[in-house]
Amino acid sequence: MKKYLFIVVSMFALLLAACGDSTDSGETSEYRTVYSGEIKTLNYLKTAETNEFALSANLVEGLIEYDEYGVVKPGLAESWESNDDATVWTFKLRDDVKWVDHEGKEVADVVAQDFVDGLNYVLDAKNESSTAWIATVVKNGDAFYNGEVTDFAQVGIKAIDEKTVEYTLEGQTPYFLSMLNYVCFFPVSGEFLAEKGDAFGTNRENILYNGAYILDKFEPQNERVLVKNKKYWDKETVKIDRIRYKYNKEAATVAPELFLRGEIDGAVIPTSILDEWLNSEDKKDLVRQNNNNFYTYFYALNFDPQYDAEYEPENWKVVVNNKDFRKSLYHALDRVSAMLTIEPYNPQDLLSNTITPKNFVDVEGVDYTLLEPLKAITENDSFDKDLALQHKEAAMAALNGKATFPVKVVLPYNSGSPEWANRSQVVEQQLENLLGADYIDVELYAGPATGFLGEIRRPGKFSMIEANWGPDFADPSTYTDPFTEGGSYNKPELAEGYNGQYDKLVAAAKAEVDPAVRYELFAKAEAFLIEEAFVIPYAVGGGGYVASKLNPFESQYSPFGVTSEKFKGQSILEKPMSNEEFKSAKEAWEKARAEALANASN
Amino acid sequence: MGLFTKEIQNISEKSNNQLNDHLFEFATVDDAKAEETAYSNYSYWRSTFRSFRKNKIAVFLLIFVIGLILFTFIQPYLPDQKSPTQIYINAETGMQDRNVAPNDEYIFGTNSIGQDLWSRIWEGTRTSLFIGFAVAIIEVIIGFSVGALWGYSRKLEMPITQLYNIVDNIPTTIVLILMAYILRPGISTIIIAMCITGWVEMARFLRNQIVILRDREYNLASKTLGTPGYKIIIKNLLPYLISVIMLRMSLAVPAAIGAEVFLTYIGLGLPVSEPSLGNLINEGRVLMMSPDLRYQLIFPSIVLSVITIAFYIIGNAFADAADPKNHV
Amino acid sequence: MIKYIAKRLGQSILTLFIIVTIVFSLLRLMPDEGYLGAAAEKMSLEQQEVYLTNLGLRDPLLIQLKNFYIGLFQGDLGKSVTYRTDVPVLDIIQDKMMYSIVFGLGAVALSLLVGVPLGIFMAQFKGRWLDRLGTGYIVFVVAVPAMVYFLMIQMYISDWFNLPMLFDEYNPKSFILPLFCLALGPIASYAMWMRRYMVDELNKDYIKLARAKGVTERTIMFSHVMRNAFIPMAQYLPATILFTITGSIYIESLFSIPGMGGLLVDAIQRQDNNVVQGLVLVFSSLGIIGLILGDILMAIVDPRIKLGKGDSVR
Repeated sequence: MKKYLFIVVSMFALLLAACGDSTDSGETSEYRTVYSGEIKTLNYLKTAETNEFALSANLVEGLIEYDEYGVVKPGLAESWESNDDATVWTFKLRDDVKWVDHEGKEVADVVAQDFVDGLNYVLDAKNESSTAWIATVVKNGDAFYNGEVTDFAQVGIKAIDEKTVEYTLEGQTPYFLSMLNYVCFFPVSGEFLAEKGDAFGTNRENILYNGAYILDKFEPQNERVLVKNKKYWDKETVKIDRIRYKYNKEAATVAPELFLRGEIDGAVIPTSILDEWLNSEDKKDLVRQNNNNFYTYFYALNFDPQYDAEYEPENWKVVVNNKDFRKSLYHALDRVSAMLTIEPYNPQDLLSNTITPKNFVDVEGVDYTLLEPLKAITENDSFDKDLALQHKEAAMAALNGKATFPVKVVLPYNSGSPEWANRSQVVEQQLENLLGADYIDVELYAGPATGFLGEIRRPGKFSMIEANWGPDFADPSTYTDPFTEGGSYNKPELAEGYNGQYDKLVAAAKAEVDPAVRYELFAKAEAFLIEEAFVIPYAVGGGGYVASKLNPFESQYSPFGVTSEKFKGQSILEKPMSNEEFKSAKEAWEKARAEALANASN
Repeated sequence: MGLFTKEIQNISEKSNNQLNDHLFEFATVDDAKAEETAYSNYSYWRSTFRSFRKNKIAVFLLIFVIGLILFTFIQPYLPDQKSPTQIYINAETGMQDRNVAPNDEYIFGTNSIGQDLWSRIWEGTRTSLFIGFAVAIIEVIIGFSVGALWGYSRKLEMPITQLYNIVDNIPTTIVLILMAYILRPGISTIIIAMCITGWVEMARFLRNQIVILRDREYNLASKTLGTPGYKIIIKNLLPYLISVIMLRMSLAVPAAIGAEVFLTYIGLGLPVSEPSLGNLINEGRVLMMSPDLRYQLIFPSIVLSVITIAFYIIGNAFADAADPKNHV
Repeated sequence: MIKYIAKRLGQSILTLFIIVTIVFSLLRLMPDEGYLGAAAEKMSLEQQEVYLTNLGLRDPLLIQLKNFYIGLFQGDLGKSVTYRTDVPVLDIIQDKMMYSIVFGLGAVALSLLVGVPLGIFMAQFKGRWLDRLGTGYIVFVVAVPAMVYFLMIQMYISDWFNLPMLFDEYNPKSFILPLFCLALGPIASYAMWMRRYMVDELNKDYIKLARAKGVTERTIMFSHVMRNAFIPMAQYLPATILFTITGSIYIESLFSIPGMGGLLVDAIQRQDNNVVQGLVLVFSSLGIIGLILGDILMAIVDPRIKLGKGDSVR
């Protein structure tokens, strides 16, 4: 019993101690939040996870940055130039950038060789970097990764002198600057890396910092604290002194309550409790919409169905090659009702009529999605009951005798996502109701939570699927990858009457360097894809609702890469923005952005 | 005493032939009276039932559970029932009837996409009870077979004990998650995943019971008379074990339902297009902080709690009733 | 006794070996995509192959197993890959174990302190209101889904008593709610078992005799009934205490306790094979040690039991 006595005593001690009070001190600007997705590493050269490079973006910096309207501005590089066909890029580094350690002590200068060392690490396959695929844009990058080239000197990156770094690329890449905004092009001190070996990035002592913040505390599954880096080259623009992240696996449930109690400054408000917030006098001004991101969601019609015979893949193959059939689905899908499953209040704000989202790239201030011939598609909702039924009649007439109706439409979803499951049920019933049970029979199929891509999408076990794609750099060509030959989505190249048209259009566009011409060609290709109804554009990612004391329009803006995750430039508001304030701020921002972009291109 | 009546009668009959009738006066054998002393009307099952009936709460709950099970089956055929998966569209707005609080049309309200919660809960109860019973029955069958071999056969004792130590120490989560990865998510996957590790406990329990019983005299007698092992197990041991097996089963049902709730929590449950108590509760969990919507959590929780309580109480009452010590 | 323990330990090592080998092989059945995480979408198939080969996942199973055991005999459980990249598995487990042990032991102590007396009183006042109240509590804890009432406790009790919602190691007040939640379940089960054993014991003849002899109710309770009723519990106690290190998945998630709860689930879902293997090794060792300790403790409290005659399986 002695053992228990000991515990009893300690329990009492604990309860007594509980009566003491803890005190909070300090009047510095602090941002506190809870998170549920833990990061697994600080090694920014290895990771491809959003929440990991979101942290790294505040600790380590790359060559360029963006301003709040998405115009490129100097980062660690103070100037740069490229040759005419955009294959060789030279960057001149800033003088006053230092590597500091976790205590803020200066360790070394950031030099050109650091960028070479960083890329070398990423492209070395034995380091298992998940972002190596994007770094293969550099000449011989892929060959080095695969082991065909063993001498890194043959890879297209050179430190010309201490402050000049030169990239030679595999092909012409006018959008290369935007790629530099990604972690795989970040610098690393080669000496430090060699010293730490495998331990690099495992804790806060094992990385060097050159960014706006230093990790003051890093305890996974508990807490991490960022404090301002006093040696940072641009420290005047850093307004928040301290950022405190507390881990909570149930953050979605707990965070709203913590925000109301004033224990945190930012919380995601799940749709399920949004009603409660919007209908309550004292809470409704605390919550606002969140900005969209650049993930694009679409329904892809499969031209190479590989599922079980009981779902009649051959029959689907016949009907999907009929344009009227595809168009009937295209016009029949009521995207608003599908969107209500995640965004019941402003569903329109998340819908996208094109594959490439709005505000991604522009030609002199004119958004890409408004270029001809994409403009007509952007400005019209694809949902049209009458057109859908017209196409249905036409398809049934044309396919009479060739296909059996109702057509079985296999619509898989990831069983790990309740929203996706709900949405699939909505889509199933909505399509069947509109087009009639004599025409289609949508079969829901619950795919596995892990390995969904490998089990369902890649092997083509679907007739129609909700799929998504995120950009890898700021150029429309990034959104063409899923649909060109070799893509693992719906294989439109197998469609009857396709004759490689989309691939040809894309190839022509890729050959152009001048953005105006280039983007127009891409717009043409995308319009073809949608007009043929090979895919049905659906929505963009992000959105949702937050209660937050941050102003989202103060942060750096870029459709791709890590810049938008930076706290630099942001400050903490007295009280959170309401949705009205958010909307008007957004309008003002969009106007200012168009001007800024137009100015930048002159 | 009564045991010998027949023998005495036999002897008397024999002596009838040899001895003179007048020497003795025969006491007439009254069969009815003889029965009275020789026969105890003790029947294990009747006594069990009788003492079970004494526990009013348990009897009530038993009737309730039977009623509940019947109701889950007939519910879809009652008039004015809605489909559990159909999404209802509001006639006025043309939009889904989302998060409608309980009213005349939707007895338990609707969920976040406009499905009728009343029919979802019954559908979910049906699914969960099915999972519970299926798991319980499979566990008993496997558990009894292994337990019988384990307890009865001395040759197999060591290997099965080793097997038990191994299976018992492999964390169940690994097996569950792995099954969920390998098989398509669905009811059968969940049942298989739970049974793969669940039979172990049952087997151990039954083995211990059998070890106690196997060396009783009547089994020894059967053995020496040359009765084959399987017959001893089925004819001699099984009837004795029925009561404890029933008890374990009645506890296994709510345990399996609870396990399904846990599986859903860690993201390995049934997809929401197949309602179960697990995914209904998990979906409702986030609504805890929203008083207007809390009904979506409370209704399925109540159903789950009631089922669990009912099975526990019935199980325990039955265990008490099945214990011969309580039959006097 | 020592011989017995040595024999048991020897057998256990063999069992452990088999368990780890089985788990090791099972893990290799996991889908490849799980190792790639977010990168699965973007990597080409060739790049995926290179990546997986570098992880050692393309070696034949036996070679992988051999490498694992070589590492194990050198005391190296390997490094985490997808949970915390490149951090040694042992470090991860050690960091987290601390929290779970503190909370676990606290909860065991609390539940013994409350649960055992509760069970005793329930047995003593069998059939009266205290017994009914206790039974009601037990039934509630068993029947209502834990995730529901834990969340309620976190949201409302923290509000009423002005306690912090989340755990903070520098604020002792924040220990109260999670401890309370952790103890709810064990209190119920200790009370339930204690009551059952007590009632069994109270019906025995020697108690009747003691009463007839005029032994005071107090002496009967404390020196006879309780002592004997405690024996069956003694057997499970070591395992229970050891297993507190595995933490509680619900409670640690809700209150932000950086303990072991959910570590196994996380590690499996992220397919971090090294972490899973390490955890399985730790958990099964604990399970086996718990059994042995339970037997020893039993032998100490119950003089009738002699160890070493056949292996007990409970």
